[in-house]
Amino acid sequence: MYRSIAASGLLLCAMAAPASTRPQYGGTLHVETLDTPDALVRMLVFDRLTRFDANGGVSPALAIRWSQDNNAQRWQFWLRPGVHFHDGTEMSTEDVVRSLNDACASHCPWKMVRAVGMSVVLTSDSPLPTLPEELARSIYIIAHKQAGGELDGTGPFKTTSSGGNNAMLTAVNDAWSGRPFVDGIEIDGRRDMRAQLLDLSVGRADIVDLPPELVRQAMQSHVVVTASSPVDMLALTLQGGRLRAPEQRRAIAEAVDRTALWSVIYQKQGEASGSLLPNWLTGYAFLFSPLRNPARATELAAAARMPLTLSADRNDPATQLAAERIALNLHEAGLTVQVRPPGTPDVDIRLRCIHLEANDARAGLHEMVRELGADMDDGGGDAASLYRVEKTFLDDGTVVPLLWLPRDYAVNPRVRGLALAPDGTPLLADVSLKADQP
Amino acid sequence: MSLRQRLLVMFSLTVMLAVAAVAWVISLRVRDAYTTQQQQRTAALVTQFRREFARSGAQIGERLERVASSEETYRMGFDLTHGGDPATYLTEAAALAHEYGLDLLEIVGPDGKIVSSSQWPARYGYLEPAATSPNGPAFLKREDMPDGTSQLALISVRAVKESDSAVVLVGGMLLDRSFLDSLAIPEGMQIYLYRNFGAESLVSGGDAVIDRHALQPVLDQARFSSTDARAIVYPTSKREDSLDVTAVPLKDRQGVALAVLLIANQRRDLAEMQQHIRNTAYSVAGLGVLFAVAASLWIAARISRPVEQLAHAVDEVAAGNWKITVTVGSRDEVGRLAAGFNHMTGQLSEQRDRLVQSERVAAWRELARRLAHELKNPLFPLQITVENMVRARRLPSKEFDEVFEESTSTLIAELQNLKTIIGRFSDFSRMPKPQLQPEEISKALQRLIALYAPALEEKKIELKVEIENASLTAMADSELLHRALSNLVLNAMDAMDGPPEKTGGVLTISLRRRDGMIEIRIADSGAGLTPEECDRLFTPYYTTKQHGTGLGLAVVQSIIADHHGTIAVRRAESGGAEFVIELPGVAEKA
Repeated sequence: MYRSIAASGLLLCAMAAPASTRPQYGGTLHVETLDTPDALVRMLVFDRLTRFDANGGVSPALAIRWSQDNNAQRWQFWLRPGVHFHDGTEMSTEDVVRSLNDACASHCPWKMVRAVGMSVVLTSDSPLPTLPEELARSIYIIAHKQAGGELDGTGPFKTTSSGGNNAMLTAVNDAWSGRPFVDGIEIDGRRDMRAQLLDLSVGRADIVDLPPELVRQAMQSHVVVTASSPVDMLALTLQGGRLRAPEQRRAIAEAVDRTALWSVIYQKQGEASGSLLPNWLTGYAFLFSPLRNPARATELAAAARMPLTLSADRNDPATQLAAERIALNLHEAGLTVQVRPPGTPDVDIRLRCIHLEANDARAGLHEMVRELGADMDDGGGDAASLYRVEKTFLDDGTVVPLLWLPRDYAVNPRVRGLALAPDGTPLLADVSLKADQP
Repeated sequence: MSLRQRLLVMFSLTVMLAVAAVAWVISLRVRDAYTTQQQQRTAALVTQFRREFARSGAQIGERLERVASSEETYRMGFDLTHGGDPATYLTEAAALAHEYGLDLLEIVGPDGKIVSSSQWPARYGYLEPAATSPNGPAFLKREDMPDGTSQLALISVRAVKESDSAVVLVGGMLLDRSFLDSLAIPEGMQIYLYRNFGAESLVSGGDAVIDRHALQPVLDQARFSSTDARAIVYPTSKREDSLDVTAVPLKDRQGVALAVLLIANQRRDLAEMQQHIRNTAYSVAGLGVLFAVAASLWIAARISRPVEQLAHAVDEVAAGNWKITVTVGSRDEVGRLAAGFNHMTGQLSEQRDRLVQSERVAAWRELARRLAHELKNPLFPLQITVENMVRARRLPSKEFDEVFEESTSTLIAELQNLKTIIGRFSDFSRMPKPQLQPEEISKALQRLIALYAPALEEKKIELKVEIENASLTAMADSELLHRALSNLVLNAMDAMDGPPEKTGGVLTISLRRRDGMIEIRIADSGAGLTPEECDRLFTPYYTTKQHGTGLGLAVVQSIIADHHGTIAVRRAESGGAEFVIELPGVAEKA
């Protein structure tokens, strides 16, 4: 009886708890980013057949289940019934087939995709053991092309207005995944970092991008920071031509001081790594030593010295500084490297930042290798096999991983329930806003 | 060249040389003055640069002091000295440099490594050698930049206050175009900064542009000697574009010339001024020449004209006009010369008249003496013969007849002798004028030889004829020429005539062309002539013969002179006398 009384008391207390402790509906979330708002809009307006979950696997999204046979060369995905696009059109298998074909055009990992009843079947000549993880990536959105040519999605938000670097999203009440807490999201893209921090401090922004190099300073300033696992790989890609000699590629790999990049430029965020995947994903990344060997670099560089060019893909100050530091390291080893402006084509060395979406080592390796423009044989899903494949790939020396960096966000204290997807994307549909004090 | 021309040339040269000398001296003085002025301006600009250099150094030091003593720097210094993470201050230098107006700033940690660099942020962790001696004066430093270039910087080093001097600030300003532009550069001057490292470059103050290669010699002199150097530089072929360049080496703390300050003075003003002086000199010289012409004309009127008149009068006197006089127009030397000339010609004319008169009297006397002498000889036999006939009248008629007949014969012979003598004098007085026409001289000689060959043979005189085998023609009167040549041959025969044991000799007759003249030589091997005889031989009435009239050779000389020729006598190589006649030859027709 006492037990019943206690349970009833707790229920009453919970019901009587102040509203501020519970997620509340309503309000407009103000998000500012350094990049364009496209990526965020894509994640919020559109869904994929599968999605990465927090446990290192994939969960059903627009596909409720899937199966494979013929050694993973044939995959069948059954679609969620009753899903409607924002214009009210019901999602069909044709929409899915068209979306998948449009997503990757001629570079699709599968050979063919077709509709079979309420399912779609993807077939390939080679095994696709990580196809569900692949389809969880942001490029494989399921969309419906409206009469005006605009794409319509099935996500929790729909686009109310967009133009230039701004986008206004409105919550979809009857979304299959449930209505978001906030009524809308206003995304201000390509916003200067200083302006973002200022907006955050004065309450004009709720969530802003925070580059890794500023995390430490922000935290010292008591800014609420939400950080992902390291999901962005900073790496050098060495392109043929004058870097055809393996000694020169190895000299570059040995010359770069990853630790200095990590500890100073990126303020000890993420990890210095010589691996294609972060250690949190594989557990063996430490086997690829990030330490430099200047003497060995100088020795190797002496065999093939010629002026080289280096350019970073990104134009942010930290990446530029990293490029200059790398050039300085290479100069120290006896290599003459000229840093060119960001995005300069046909350079010998590119400093790239590659984003990892997968939360599985096997799928991640496939994803990274594909992003680097190469192919790999699937050696199996165990760590030893993955290590061998990765080592074989890296021994070629055309890719020199440097750092794995997290994605960080500075958050207004009124934002509640902000979680990040495994790839660092903020899950804004789950965010609610704390009610303003009367 | 006439005296007038000489005067003109002399005056012109004098004027031009004088103007040139004055222009040269003025140009030299102007150049010296200009050079002195330029040196003073250059020295002033160098002083200004050094002052600006020192002021900038002090300003950098003062700014670094402010940075070093600021609270934020103090905290950073304390943190770094006590083991703080240097990475935290990666961007601190850039922020401080911007805040305190520094082009360059490096924060160097206790370990001597760069914590933060405003100019090259990627250099964190590298050693900074300049941080070893803080708080000294500003100095020049080569600063490497991220883009691979190197800049020249004025650097100062300061230790962060209250941090046990463990953290050091190395900051400064770039010595670039803006620094040069901050100098007040006078008009006509240019200033350049040459960086002696990396990709060699020349930075100019203002809009000045110059080809670096033109400055290379003075640059090298300043760089290698590490002392000021000065030279005249010609960036183009135009003289007015030339520059007076002073190069001042700028050294770092080790005394190495990192850069060279070049101060260039345009020499356009000097060149234009010198050109103006030259133009003026040319104008003055031109006017001077005109003046010289006018002066020479005027002076000629005063000097050269009387002299020219005097020269003309001299020519007239030489031509035989002894009556000529010149006008005495002044009392100077020329006037006295003219008066002296008139006096001299007057004297000469009088003396000539007296001489002619005395010669005429002497000639008449000589003629009278000759006539008396010639006539007295036949008259005496005539007188004797007449007296014999008077005395013979007393003789019987037969004897008388014999005497009479003998006397009349004698009278007739003597009278004939008188007639002959008178005829000779008559011939000499009535010498005909020659009728000149082209005459082959060799033919005349052949005629002469043919005429006298028998007589020569009779007198055992050998005849040698040397006639050039060519056509030798002269304008001559054949009869008069034959008469003259015959006279000479007869004289030669007389010279070789004597007693039977001494009779004979060699007569040489030669003919040849010599220097356009036709030369006839007639030489004998007789006793020959003394030099005195040679001098007087052609004098009328002078003879070396016992019964000669002394008119023969005078007639010969007269004939030859009428043929525009000459005759001379000299001692022959064979010991006798040799007569040489030269007649103008007629040019051979082609």
